[in-house]
Order: sequence, then structure tokens, then C-alpha cells
Amino acid sequence: MLKLFKHNIQPVSELSSAQTAVEVNELNLWFGDKHVLKDITMRIPKNKVTALIGQSGCGKSTLINCFNRLNDLYDGCQYKGEVIIDGKNINSKKTNVSRLRAKVGMVFQRPNPFPMSIYENVCYGLKLQGVRERRNLDDAVENALKQAALWDEVKDRLFEPAMTLSGGQQQRLVIARALSLKPEVLLLDEPTSALDPLTTLFIEELMESLKKQCTIVIVTHNMQQAARVSDYTAFFHQGKLVEYADSDTLFTMPEKKQTEDYITGRYG
Amino acid sequence: MAKLRLSGLNAVQRQSLVISLTAFFTGLLLIALISVLVLITARGGAYFWPKPIYSVALAPISSPEFASDQVPPKEAAPQVETLLANVFDDEAKSEIRLKYADALNPYGAQLLVERERIKRIDLAKNSAEIKLNDGRQVMAVPENVVTPEGANIPLAKLPQIMESVALISDEITKLNKQFLAPIHESLSRFDNRDVVADAPAREKLVAQFNEYQQRVRSLETQRDQYKLAVSFADGQPFSIPIFTIQSVDFVSRLTGFEKWQVAIGEVFVFLTESPKQANTSGGVFPALFGTVLMVFIMTIIVTPFGVMAAIYLSEYAPNTALTTIIRVSVSNMAGVPSIVYGVFGLGFFVYTLGGSIDSLFFSDTLPAPTMGSPGIFWAALTMAILTLPVVIVATEEGLRRVPEGLKAGSYALGATKIETIVRTILPIASPGIMTGVILAIARAAGEVAPLMLVGAVKFAPALPIDGEFPFLHLDRQFMHLGVLIYDSAFHSQTDAKSASMMFAACLLLLVVVFVLNILAVLLRTRLRKRYLKG
Repeated sequence: MLKLFKHNIQPVSELSSAQTAVEVNELNLWFGDKHVLKDITMRIPKNKVTALIGQSGCGKSTLINCFNRLNDLYDGCQYKGEVIIDGKNINSKKTNVSRLRAKVGMVFQRPNPFPMSIYENVCYGLKLQGVRERRNLDDAVENALKQAALWDEVKDRLFEPAMTLSGGQQQRLVIARALSLKPEVLLLDEPTSALDPLTTLFIEELMESLKKQCTIVIVTHNMQQAARVSDYTAFFHQGKLVEYADSDTLFTMPEKKQTEDYITGRYG
Repeated sequence: MAKLRLSGLNAVQRQSLVISLTAFFTGLLLIALISVLVLITARGGAYFWPKPIYSVALAPISSPEFASDQVPPKEAAPQVETLLANVFDDEAKSEIRLKYADALNPYGAQLLVERERIKRIDLAKNSAEIKLNDGRQVMAVPENVVTPEGANIPLAKLPQIMESVALISDEITKLNKQFLAPIHESLSRFDNRDVVADAPAREKLVAQFNEYQQRVRSLETQRDQYKLAVSFADGQPFSIPIFTIQSVDFVSRLTGFEKWQVAIGEVFVFLTESPKQANTSGGVFPALFGTVLMVFIMTIIVTPFGVMAAIYLSEYAPNTALTTIIRVSVSNMAGVPSIVYGVFGLGFFVYTLGGSIDSLFFSDTLPAPTMGSPGIFWAALTMAILTLPVVIVATEEGLRRVPEGLKAGSYALGATKIETIVRTILPIASPGIMTGVILAIARAAGEVAPLMLVGAVKFAPALPIDGEFPFLHLDRQFMHLGVLIYDSAFHSQTDAKSASMMFAACLLLLVVVFVLNILAVLLRTRLRKRYLKG
């Protein structure tokens, strides 16, 4: 009954290919001998916020690292299965990883601005893409900082070191840095776990406004946050996707006992 | 760790014992460091400070050993009783060392005398230290100036006379440069061609040459006849051609301020002139220049090599046993005795590499070697190999400190590995790289043994840089402060002044290393501020 009022939110099983931003098919991943992701199959809807929840070490961060192939950086990481973005399997050998990562932005748990000026930080990705004209860079920096709701705070000190910003500002700078490339998908890996509640709220509001332009996947340990910001939620346990549904359903009427136990805080 | 058992002490007492012991050894270290600095500074500084001249009255030798011996010993004291001398009172307790001058040894000699033999020591206010252009000096009492006409002119006129003599010298130099040298050159060109056809022209030139030579000779005779008459303590006369005199200082009359003036002048001479009298006087400019240039070339070579190798080892090399072996070997290379690198540089760079270059590119000048002999480039290359491990280890350390989060952030923005290294990792690691380069510079500036094999010499006739094409002569041998110190240390047993020159060069080497380090540390601090704190 509730679903009727929540227009726009379809059940995950009914998502069409056109509505899917990332499609994961039978994804398995190993670090050395350790089987980290087991047969993950899911569709992440376009222009929605999808939260991944689960205990530490359940593989949710590893899964979003699969969406921009950041796992390639680690020795002894092997994977099998498909991750389809824009109709192409990014796990194929032909994928241009640089281009993929420009299309799939990522924000990490701890703010990691480069030791350069604020301006340089935001243009880092653009310069890598070969944008050289000062005017284009200026516009892009302003747009990205406005989207990340940081522009008003830093517009007078764009050329000061990024390290002089506060933690919350740094995290928004890192978001602006990712947004400067106009990504289709934005991956957030516990983006607020190192921040204070007020800044957390700020970044949650940001997500709400950002989903008009890109698909957001957020990994979080904070159940309330997942319920607040996400349209869809996936619960993982020991490398397996246990339950995946729209957030209202998952948090109010979980199908599986494990999910219920986790979201009610009985373990994890 | 074995437990420290000291009966009768409780835990607090034991702890304070340990603290006092460690503090004691730190204190010892501090004392050692300070004494090195104080000794070098004091002895080095003394080289520049004007030493007063004393007239020393000596009793004749009355030792029974000499009396019974019919043949007087060769090293017998001079037969005079009064000497003009610098007194060095810092030697053994029973003896005093004198650097004296007399008619037999006008340019100075040294003597150790027993304290009992010294009857009187007075400051010799009338005597002067007369420094000659060739680096020798005379300690004597200036009497008057003798002109070519035979007139005796009072000493007060000496500055004017020295000026007019200098004018004559300039004239001679001008004649030599403007006329004699070009004529000589054209004459030598004639000699290579047909002798008969050019005979009239040649004869004309020869006549010209003779005419100018005549003028030069007469000027020289005139110049040589200006003399400074001096006398030694025993009244023996001696005369010095004025054109050979660099300066006359009445060192015993100087006031405190004048002493500073003389000392600063000496420092200036020391820094700007070439060594004279087999590295016992004059300056050390070529050695200073050679040291700095060699270190500079070495830095240019070792930095890219070391950084590249460190990047490969740290970022690209697979984590295998071979990599570990390479890493351990690199660290151990830092401990190889430096002379081994010298031998390697001589055997490989000079003979093999330089020899091959000679036979390939300079075969027309063989058997005289061009690159196949020790030179500044081979020395810089050898020092680069020697300091490579230092740079690699420090750079790897710097690369390891770059946070993983920053690397991941760069990759996540679509940067490739090389873009991440160039744009993010290297700037952040640059303070670490600078640390390695600083250590390398300090090591190379102070090294002596390997340099003597691959290019550093006691005396080099020309600097490695001059106005002649190609301006930077990498094949030339060069002088190095460390080698100069090593060389002048051998004179020290016989020459007090040179012992001081060794200390002065030592002081200068310390200053050079210190300045290079300060520059590098400043640069590192700037980089650190820029890339680490934000």
C-alpha cells in the first residue's frame, strides 16, 4: 500500500536495462585465497541513491571498488563475472580504465585532498583529461564547487592550500573534485564516518541534490543514514548479497531474518 | 633483554642510574663535537691572524753531546744569537718552535729550541713581514729603498715607489701582449711555409721583434734595480727587488683594528688566489671551485638515477625475493669502502670507458689520452655511484610515506600510474628525495681517497671552466679541498704555516659542506611546507 504513494520507486526486480546504471552479473572476487565476493548479481538504478550496508569485511567496499576497477591496484586480486556500465562489461581487458574512472567518480572514507591549492585539486581530473584552457578550467572549478556547496566558502581563497580547509570542507572538496569530471556514477565509501553530525547532514543533503545528475552508490555503517538518504538498500553478509530492495521495504518489512537482525541491531 | 640487577638499588635509583649513564655518553659526544669545531675554527682562524715578530735572543748551544762530538751536527742552530721569529708556544713543554729568518734562510726556516736557551723575547717593532708575489715571505727590518740611480730613499716613500714599479710592470706586460706575442705568432706561421719566398717579410718581423724585445729588456733592467734594502737581526743586509713584493706589513706594530684588516685581506687572498709554494701559501680558490663544481655535476647525475631506481623499486618492482635481494644490496653498497669505488672508477670509467671514447672519437690525438685520463667528469661519476645508495634509500623512504589514500584518490580520478607518480607521489616525496641529495652532497664534498684516483690532483694548472671553447672542460683534472688538506698535512711536520693552511682549508671545507647543507635544508623545508602541511 505504501508503495503507491512512493512514486518513482520501483521494486528492484522490475528495473529495466534502461533504468540501470550498473549491472552486476555473477561477480566473484578473491584476494589471494580469500573469497571476498560470492556470486553477486544486482542492478543499481539510475539517478537514485543506493546504500550498501553490512558488517565490516562483508565485501561492500570491495564491491564498489569493482565499479571503477580500483581493485586492480591490489596484488593478488582476481575477479570473475560481469560489471556492466553503459552497456559494456568493464571487466573486459579492452576497457580503458582511465576513462572508466573518469566516468565513475569516487569519494573515500577519509578526506584525501592532494597537497595543492583548492583550485588545483578540483582541476586535477580535468587536466588529466587534457583540458588546458584556463577559461574552461575556471568554469568547471566553479561549477563543481557550487554543486558540492563549497563555492561560497572558498571562492575568495581558491589558491590557498587545500589542507587549510576543515575536515568537512575537505570532504566536500573531494566530492567537488569527483564532480568536476561530470561522472555518471558517484561511489561514496563511508563518506561521513570521519565527520561531525552537522557536516554529515550537510553531505546527506548534497546527495539528495546530486542524484538528479548522477547515480549514487553509498557504503555506510550508519543504519539511520542509509534509511534517510537512500532509495534502495542492499544488505551484504560475508560476501553474499542477502537482500536488496527499495529502502522502505528493506527497513520496514525485511524478508530475511538475517537482515532484520542486522537492521535492528541484534548483531553487527 | 637481560634484567639490570644492581643489588641495594631500588627501581627509582636504578632508573636514575640509567638516565645518568645515557646523559653522560651524550655529554661525551657533545664534547667531542664541540672540540672538533673549536680546534678547526681556532687553528684555521689563526692562519689568517697576523703573527707578531719577536726578536729572540738565544744562548749558544752548550750541550755536552755536541761538545764531545768533533763534527758539528748538520742541523745545528745558526751561529747568530738573535733571531727575528714567529713564536709558536703551543708545542711540547720543554721546547718552543720558532719560524725565523736570517741571511742564510731569508725566506724562513724552523727551529725547535729548549726553553732554557731563550734569554730574551722582545716584540720587534721595526721588523716587517714582507710577502712576495710567489708566496714566499721574508721577516726582516726594512731599511730604505734603492733606486736605479743608486740613491737611498727613506722608507716612507715605499708606497709611491711600489706604484711606479707597478706601472713599469704593466708596461712590460702590455708590450709582451700587444707586440711580442703577435709577432712571435706570425713568425711561427712563416716557419711553416716557404722560407725563401717570405724572407724579406720575415726579416722585417724579426727586426721588429728584436726592437720590442730590446725595449722590454731595458724596462726590465730598470724595474729590477728598484730594491728594498732590509737587514736581519744580526745586521746582515739583504735586498729584495720591489716588483716581487706583494705587501709589507709591520705586524708587530698593528693595532687591533689593523690586525682585523690584515686578517680579512688574508681571507680574501685565501679564497680568491691559487696555491703557491707547493700548497703552503697563497689561496685555495681552484680547490674550492673544483669541489663545488664536482659536487654540482655529481648531483646532476645522481639525482635522476637514484630517483628513477627508487621509483622502480618502490612502485613497479614485483614483490619477489629478487627485489628484496636488490634492495638489500643497494643498502649494503652504502657501506663499501670508498677507495673501492675509486679503483672501480679508475678501472672502468677512466681506462675502459674513457679509453673507448678516445679510440672512437679522439683517435687522431692518440696515444695522448683525452677522456682516457682521470678528470672531473669521471670523478663526479665515481662519486655519483658512491652516493647512489644514499639517494635510493632516502627516496624509497620518502615514496613509502606517501599516504595510500592519496594514491587511490589520484587513480580514482582516472590518472594512470605514471601520471599519479609524476603529479602526486613525487611532489609529496620530494622532501625525502632532498634529504637523500643532502646526504650525498655532504658525503661527496668530504671524500678524498677515491677522488685521488679519478681526477683530483695536488695542483691543477687550469680550472675546469674557462673562456675557451667548450668552456666546461670535463676531461681536465681538478683540485679538491679534501685532497688539498691531505696534501698539506704532509708539510705540517716541517712547516708551521702550512699546518695552519691545512686547518684553514679544513675550516673552509666545513663551511662549504655547512652552506650546501643549509641550502638543501632550506629547499627541503620549503617543499615540505608546500606539499605536506598543505
